Amino acid sequence: MSVEEPPRADPEALLAAAEREARGQLRIFLGAAPGVGKTYAMLNAARAARTGGRDVVAGIIETHGRAETQALVEGLEMLPRKAIAYRGRLVPEFDLEAALARRPSLLLVDEYAHSNVEGSRHPKRWQDVQEILAAGIDVWTTLNIQHVESLNDVVQRITGVRVRETVPDTALQKADEIILVDLPSDELIKRLADGKVYVEDTATRAVQSFFKPSNLTALRELALRRVAARVDSDLVERMQGSAIEGPWAAGERLLVCVGPDGTAERVVREAKRLADLMDASWFAVTVERPGHVMASRDRARLDAGMRLAETLGAETRALVASDLPGELLRFARFENVTQIIIGKARRRGPFGSLRRSLADALVRASDGIAVHVVTAEAREAGPGMGWRSRLPPAGPISGFLAAGLGVAGATLIGLLLTRVVALPNVSMLYLLAVLLPALLHGVWPAIFASGLSFLAYNFFFIDPVETFTVARPHELLALMVFLIVAVIISAIAGRAREQARLAARRMRSTRRLYDFTRKLSALPDEARVAEAAVVELHATLGRASVILLAREGSLAIAAAWPPEDRLDTASMTAANWAFERGEAAGAGTGTLPTAPWLFRPLGGTDGGRRIGVIGIEHDGAGTPLDTEIEGLLGTLVEQTAAALLRTMLSAEVTRVRTAAETERVRNILLASISHDFRTPLASILGAATSLIDYGPNIPAEARQDLLIQMRDEAENLDLMVRNLLSMTRLEAGALDLRRDWVDVVELMNRAVAAVKKRGATQRLVVTAAPDLPLVQADPSLMDQALGNVVANAVRYAGREARIGLSATVIDGQMVIAVTDDGPGIPADTLPHVFEKFVRAPRAAGDGGDGSGLGLAITRGIVEAHGGSVSARSPAPGQRSGTRIALRLPLGPEAPTEEKA
Amino acid sequence: MKAGTVLVVDDEPAIHRFMTPALTANGYEPLRADTGSEALALVANRRPDAVILDLGLPDMDGKEVIRRLREWSAVPILILSARDREVEKIEALDLGADDFINKPFGMGELMARLRAALRHRMQEKGETPVLRLGTVEVDIPRHRVTRAGEEVKLTPKEFDLLAFLVRHGGKVLTHRQILREVWGPAHEHDTQYLRVYVGQLRAKIEDDPASPALIVTEPGVGYRMGG
Repeated sequence: MSVEEPPRADPEALLAAAEREARGQLRIFLGAAPGVGKTYAMLNAARAARTGGRDVVAGIIETHGRAETQALVEGLEMLPRKAIAYRGRLVPEFDLEAALARRPSLLLVDEYAHSNVEGSRHPKRWQDVQEILAAGIDVWTTLNIQHVESLNDVVQRITGVRVRETVPDTALQKADEIILVDLPSDELIKRLADGKVYVEDTATRAVQSFFKPSNLTALRELALRRVAARVDSDLVERMQGSAIEGPWAAGERLLVCVGPDGTAERVVREAKRLADLMDASWFAVTVERPGHVMASRDRARLDAGMRLAETLGAETRALVASDLPGELLRFARFENVTQIIIGKARRRGPFGSLRRSLADALVRASDGIAVHVVTAEAREAGPGMGWRSRLPPAGPISGFLAAGLGVAGATLIGLLLTRVVALPNVSMLYLLAVLLPALLHGVWPAIFASGLSFLAYNFFFIDPVETFTVARPHELLALMVFLIVAVIISAIAGRAREQARLAARRMRSTRRLYDFTRKLSALPDEARVAEAAVVELHATLGRASVILLAREGSLAIAAAWPPEDRLDTASMTAANWAFERGEAAGAGTGTLPTAPWLFRPLGGTDGGRRIGVIGIEHDGAGTPLDTEIEGLLGTLVEQTAAALLRTMLSAEVTRVRTAAETERVRNILLASISHDFRTPLASILGAATSLIDYGPNIPAEARQDLLIQMRDEAENLDLMVRNLLSMTRLEAGALDLRRDWVDVVELMNRAVAAVKKRGATQRLVVTAAPDLPLVQADPSLMDQALGNVVANAVRYAGREARIGLSATVIDGQMVIAVTDDGPGIPADTLPHVFEKFVRAPRAAGDGGDGSGLGLAITRGIVEAHGGSVSARSPAPGQRSGTRIALRLPLGPEAPTEEKA
Repeated sequence: MKAGTVLVVDDEPAIHRFMTPALTANGYEPLRADTGSEALALVANRRPDAVILDLGLPDMDGKEVIRRLREWSAVPILILSARDREVEKIEALDLGADDFINKPFGMGELMARLRAALRHRMQEKGETPVLRLGTVEVDIPRHRVTRAGEEVKLTPKEFDLLAFLVRHGGKVLTHRQILREVWGPAHEHDTQYLRVYVGQLRAKIEDDPASPALIVTEPGVGYRMGG
């Protein structure tokens, strides 16, 4: 922060405060040792709070049978414990569900560091507490200083007792208040002597050494310092929150480099202690070399170190670089790190010195950055960065066989050649015999070949031949040089092969990821994306996979590979947890680790929608996934979430678009109906009011015409209402045909009469083939169907048009055609004339706009009869005009005789 | 006697069918046009006394017909319009149409509108300095207004407004037309002025300001001078 800038509230400090407000408040009663009276102090304070009107409930209290403590519990509401079956007995545990259901204002939970019995939701009680806090309930709890994770080492060194139940520092940092419960060491020892201090059976052997005055004093100091540091950080946070310029600006920043050797854990704890002392933020980083394969044991150690650093509150980063010290320093400078902490394994043997170079290189180049070197016992240390760890496993026996055969071949060729020509350097042949297995089978067969070649060369070609002794010194030298060259070639060629193999593997996995993404992005719907994703996950990770999606508020399996349609209760609970909290749950995590599946939430990052969870079945051991698979899984989960979200969004878009289209159609329908109804209504109202107001002044003939007009228009309205009703019925599929024998000629004549009655001025001609059969059809619906076509022709063909109606039988179908010589239908409208609300541009001076329903109804009716409709423009054999044809299937036994 | 020639422009034959006998019965001589161009030609050749125009015509927009007619003719134009085409109606009035009637309509109402439009045209031809509106007399040159013989005190703006309305008696005036003429083009959209002044005028000249008979509101369109 530059000096000129006005003080600004640190958003992170404000955010932290805001987050805490929604959460419950956590108060920890911290003591230096058992027996100082933490539970007693907590209960006293709780009673006071209850008297002050708070809703206080004791979730779990360990009184250890002490009378004073027991007395304080009296009168407090106590949650019953939950019995959990474990190894054949029932262990009473804190009942998390009951606490959440009870929702008190303040909950007392004794012993923050307690480990829950297997089968509980969380392995640790502090995790239960976090969940209660998240539900907005205040919690008071108790804790001894030796249970704090980062102090674990220190406490062990002071007391000689290793504490197994630890609480991560982050869980301590989350406390809103820490209250120190202190008791002078002498008094505590006196209480112990009086039998007032409860000590767990398992710890009795350590009691004597633990409760020594020197130990207790040291522990008290630790506790006091911890609380003091806490008060300090509270102050800083408050100052940042209110933008007060303060002393934190030039704070220290630490960086700890975590290696795969045994020093990792020690180095991380040391870094944490330093960071706390300096009130500094700290990073934990690993540096991996590109192309470097790490043994699984090293990988596990490295991951454990990084996980520890994370729980201790470090910011963790994984760097990739070939220049280890260079990359470390670059990162350190970028992040303004002031101190670097590295581990150094004390090691025997010639390779111990290899490790020192990192520390040396750092010290030499770290201008202005302090470097701490933490040493660890050699027996803890693993092979570290020694050359052995870089070698791949030996591989199958076939490689060695091939190497042996190669050497034998080289010997044979060498012997044959020396018979023919004098070969000065047979060793070249053996080099070939070393190089080939190095390239084909890796390092170990090549080294094997080197040794074998060395022996064979000596035996067959160096005097005295057929012995392993060497007569001349210069030949001994040549032999030794050969061996060295062969081994070096083996190593180099083997490494090259190994790297090529790695590169290929990496390319395969990149390719796989790319294919995965591409495959998912091409799939159209949710179900298929989920299906493809689980298959792909199974193929990539080699573990059973399942995707659960939220449907109507609860998770359901969308896809699983190998196919699976149900999960056990524990897994479902873990899945729901992962979905609701947006955190991983199940095997290998801190929540419900006994479930056989690991669940990761899908989506929900960056404010996105959470759509479900993805589950990976765990191997039996329950070990956490290593970082490489973890990283791959993370990428796959993200891709899957993105693909699923995409399909969901596109489905939503389609839904919205369909709704909009429906809305549009409805609007057109309303507009068209109101328009179509207006003209007949205007005519009826106009004619009626003319007669009412001016009747006597109108000649009788005109009066009659007005009355006829009223009747005609009313009939027009009726026709429109019928069309609308038919359309509705057609759309609902509720059209019931009342079939009867219908004479098509009569049908055509009725249609002509109808339009003429409505004032058609066109010439209408009806033609029919002789001996036309009758058709089985619904007469009134067919009237409507043909009527609409003829009315359409009258409306669009022009006033002087000629309209022909014809009926013929073609291919066992009755074809009724209506042909006009009007302007025709534009080519772009023609394919749509039978659709709803499609109207052709109207000829001038003719009838009103149609509703655009007429021909759609015609098609609906004809198709309901099993027939079809078609339109052509210009009409066949003409330069303009339109021909609309209705085809009806003829029944097999159509009676032709009935026709009169 | 012939009350005048009236041109009916509509593409619906049904409209002509009842309009023709009704107009004849009221003493008008009806002329029929089915398209806009036919209408323009007939107005030029036959000089009708009024035009009844449907806005939806097959060959051109009814508004276009008004625009072209107004270039050279002051013939009263009555619009036949649909209720759902309010905007079109206002545009037509702004272009110079005199009045409108919504479809469907009663013949009595149409005839009343027609008479009012024709009377207004006669009045304009006379160019009298004193205009009468029911019991209200407006003496334009002397800036005097009397109601049943008693003088009414008006502010200059009120007088301008009343004078403009009275001069266009029998015509529907849109808000925009009134605002432009009385307040100036900058105030075309300040309809709140208009509402306040019309309220004041009504209080001074109407017999019952709560149900005005002289300055009648056409909801969403403007005002019509009654009387």
